[in-house]
Order: sequence, then C-alpha cells, then structure tokens
Amino acid sequence: MTTTMSVLIVDDDPALLQALPQALRLRMGGVTVETADSAAAALERIAVQDYDAVVTDIKMPGMDGLALLAEIRTRRPDTPTLIITGHGENELVVRALRGGACDFIQKPIDRGYFVAALYRAIRAHAVHRKMKERQLALESCAEELERLVQKLERPPRAVPGKAES
Amino acid sequence: MPETATEQRQGAAEDRLRAHVETLERRLRKRDEQRRAMLHIMGDLSEFNKRLANQRKAMLHVLADYEKDRRRLARQTERLDSSRRALLHILQDSHQDKLRLEASRKAMIHIMGDLRETTAEMQRREQELRDKQEQLVQAGKLATLGELTTGVAHELNNPLNNIGLFVGNAVDLIELAVTEKEQIVGELHHAMQQVSKATEIISHLRTFGRAAPVSREPTSLREVIERALSLMREQLRLRDIEVTVDLGAEDPVVVGNAIQLEQVFINLLTNARDAVAESPRKQIRISAAAGGGAVEVTLVDSGHGIPPGLERRIFDPFFTTKQVGKGTGLGLSITYGIINEHGGTISVESPPGEGATFLIHLPLAPADAQEAAP
Repeated sequence: MTTTMSVLIVDDDPALLQALPQALRLRMGGVTVETADSAAAALERIAVQDYDAVVTDIKMPGMDGLALLAEIRTRRPDTPTLIITGHGENELVVRALRGGACDFIQKPIDRGYFVAALYRAIRAHAVHRKMKERQLALESCAEELERLVQKLERPPRAVPGKAES
Repeated sequence: MPETATEQRQGAAEDRLRAHVETLERRLRKRDEQRRAMLHIMGDLSEFNKRLANQRKAMLHVLADYEKDRRRLARQTERLDSSRRALLHILQDSHQDKLRLEASRKAMIHIMGDLRETTAEMQRREQELRDKQEQLVQAGKLATLGELTTGVAHELNNPLNNIGLFVGNAVDLIELAVTEKEQIVGELHHAMQQVSKATEIISHLRTFGRAAPVSREPTSLREVIERALSLMREQLRLRDIEVTVDLGAEDPVVVGNAIQLEQVFINLLTNARDAVAESPRKQIRISAAAGGGAVEVTLVDSGHGIPPGLERRIFDPFFTTKQVGKGTGLGLSITYGIINEHGGTISVESPPGEGATFLIHLPLAPADAQEAAP
C-alpha cells in the first residue's frame, strides 16, 4: 500500500485516544489517524470524509458502538468497521459481527493483533473497492460492446418481412 | 222543886241538844272538809286525766312512728338478708377463686422455672445473633462489592489497556531508535497516570471490603458521597445516567464510620441505577440540607418508583423486586441497619407516576467535633 491510509478511532476514554493513534503511527507507515470522543462526533467526521477504516469502542455513553456501526452501515456501507470490546463480552462480539462489523479487538488491546486486523480490513476494503471499480469498468465495456453488436446487427433485422419469406 | 227539876231537865236537854248540834256541826264541818277535799281530788283527777289524754295522743304518735320504723327495719332486714345471701355467694366464689389462684401460683412457679431456662437460652441466642449480625454486615459489604464488580472490572480494564498501549509505544520508540527522549518519557508518564488511576480503584475497593472494626469518628458527608460516586461514576456514565449533587455551601459532618456510610450511598446509587434503567430521562439527584443539629440527605431518581404498599417492605432483608440473580435483596436492609446504628432514620416516598425519593436523617457531630473532620 503506497497511498496514505486514513483511520478514525472512536472512544470516550481520552487516554486511549492518546495511546492508540500513537501506536498506529509507530506500527503502520503512512497512516493518518483521527479521533472522535463520541459516536455523534464520529458521524460528523464520516459525513465529510471517507475513511479507510473506523475503529470504535462498544461501551460509550449516549450512542454506543453498535448503534454507530449500524449508522455507518447505512451511510457508508463500504467502510470497514472494527469494534473494541471488553474481555469476555462474547455476546456483544456476536452482535457486532452480525451487525456487519469487519472484525473485533478485545481489551486489553494486543497491538500486533490490532495492527494486523486493521491492515487486513483496509486491504480487503481496498481490494473490494478495486474489484468494484474493475467490475464497473467491465460493465461499461460490456455495454459498449452490446451497443456495437446491436449496431452491426441492425441492417438485416431492419426488414423482418424479407427474412420470413 | 219541880221547877228546878224541870229546869234541870231543861238544862240537860239543852245541853244534850247543844252537844248534838255541836256534833252535827262538827260532822257538817267534817263533811264540808271532805267535800272540799273531794273537790280538790276531783280537780287533780281531771288534771291527771287531761295529762293522760295528752300522753295517749303522744303515745299514738309514737306508735305511728314506731310502726314506720318497724316497716323500715323490716325492709332493711330484707335487704340485709339478700346482701347476706349475695355475700355468701361471693364468699363461695372467692373460695373457688382462692383454689384456682393456688393452682395458678403452682403453675406460675413452674413457668418461672421454665422462664429462667428460656432467658438463659435467649441470652445465648442473642449472642449468636450479634455474631451473625457482624457476619451479615461483612456479607452485606461483600454483596455490595459483588454488585459493583462488573462495573469495576470494566473500570480497571480501561487503565490496564491504556498502560499496555503507552508502554508498548515506548518500547516501539526505543526499538525504532527514536532519539527524542521526551517522546518516550511522555509515553511512560501517561502510563504512570493510568497506573495510579487503577491503583486508586483497587485500594478503594480494598478499604471498603476489609473486615475492620467499626470505628466512629467525625466524617465529612461530602467526602463520603464523593467517594461512593467515584466507585459508581463509570457505570452511571456508561448508562447515560445524569447525577447532580447539591450539598449546599457548608460541609455537614456526622459522627460515624466513613466506610459504612459510603456503603449506604453505594447501595442507594446501585438501587437508583437499576431503577432508572428503563426511563427515558435517567437522572439521580442528591441534595443535603443541615439544620437543627441534623442533616437531611435526599436521593431522588427518575425511575419507575416503588409499587404502592411495598414502601415498608423494601427495607426487609432478602426482599427484592429485581429478577433472580440481579439483586441480593440485602442492599437496602443493610442501608437501613447502618443508618439506624448511626442514630438516624431512612424512609422512602414514592408518589404514583414519579421516581422514588430516599430521605436520610442523620444527627450532626457536636460543634467541637466539626473541626476534627479529616
């Protein structure tokens, strides 16, 4: 990955918003990390920027991580979203994965695991995006081709009566 | 001599006559005297008769009176007779009573013997109860702790997680041979802050759970409430519960045990936390007003209130409206016990359609002890 990646981290703990971006900057080259201290603030950021990935805590006052995930799925269905959960909160993990989360990270956060998961998510997102672009290109090519074929086939079909007799 | 003889005879006859007259006169006088005497007697007799008649009349009166008295006496006799009969009955009854009393007295002596045994048993049981109560106080604290655990685990997990990240960053910086020392120190400094945050939580829990002898000293109510809130804050914050504390300008000081009083507020806050869980507006308000040698603390929640008729029962041990496994039913009964031991009262009001209001009334520490509060 040569282009810079942009990641949004959402958590209500100011200390975590200090530690985690620093860890990402140190461990991932070419990454821009932005932070939001609430789900509402995160949605404002998402509205103006298309992030390569969003990482959010589940337990937050006001709108929680699961609700934010649902919002992201409707507003930016392609953006991979990773969920941070407390240790042993398996029920929440399952709910998050069912809700369309790309992956989950358990607290205490293992940085190696976290970075790997984030890479995988971003790469999958990039591949997905590239594939979609190719598919679109392919589709437009196919349409073009169809049109050409139709243009070529038109003269003989223009007089159906002749063909019948 | 004829003449002389006649004269003589005449003289003799005259004499005899004179004598006769005299006799007659005498007799006459005597008769007269007798008549007069008779008259006298007759007068006396008449007098006597009159007096007798009077006496007879008087006698008749006396007789009439006597008759009246007699009748009255007869009546009294009759009455006396019935009284006598009644008395006889009473005497008979009293005799029976006496017999019964005697039997009762004997029974009483037996009962007294039993009572002495029972009293000894009671004293033994009381001692047992006191021991059990002490155990219950400790169990209650642990129950409160148990109810706090989930929240606290989450609270500890956060600083631990942050410590891991900060230290990891420092390790990365060193491995990357970053020369700016400040950056590394900065990471470690952040880690240290998180360590002290975690230590604070742990030490608080340890003080709270310790089975220490219950001492009494001047205690600042403001500090007690703030310490209780510090244990609960994260849970309340995550549940979007808004807590307002208004203790007024002054700092009420009571004589008591800080840990126990803290337990009171943790229990009440836990209670309120669960009560407002389903409410659209989740609010808990704590206020205090001191005056007249006492402080009145009010804790109001915006929850669903207490069903009517249960206001008395909620302080009973093991009474809970929460689902099985959600509450021990001990929190409020322990709270009640602690406030009682501090010479205070706690009551609850729950007007229909509103949240519950807990009212705590605690005597303030004497003026000279107010200064000694930590």
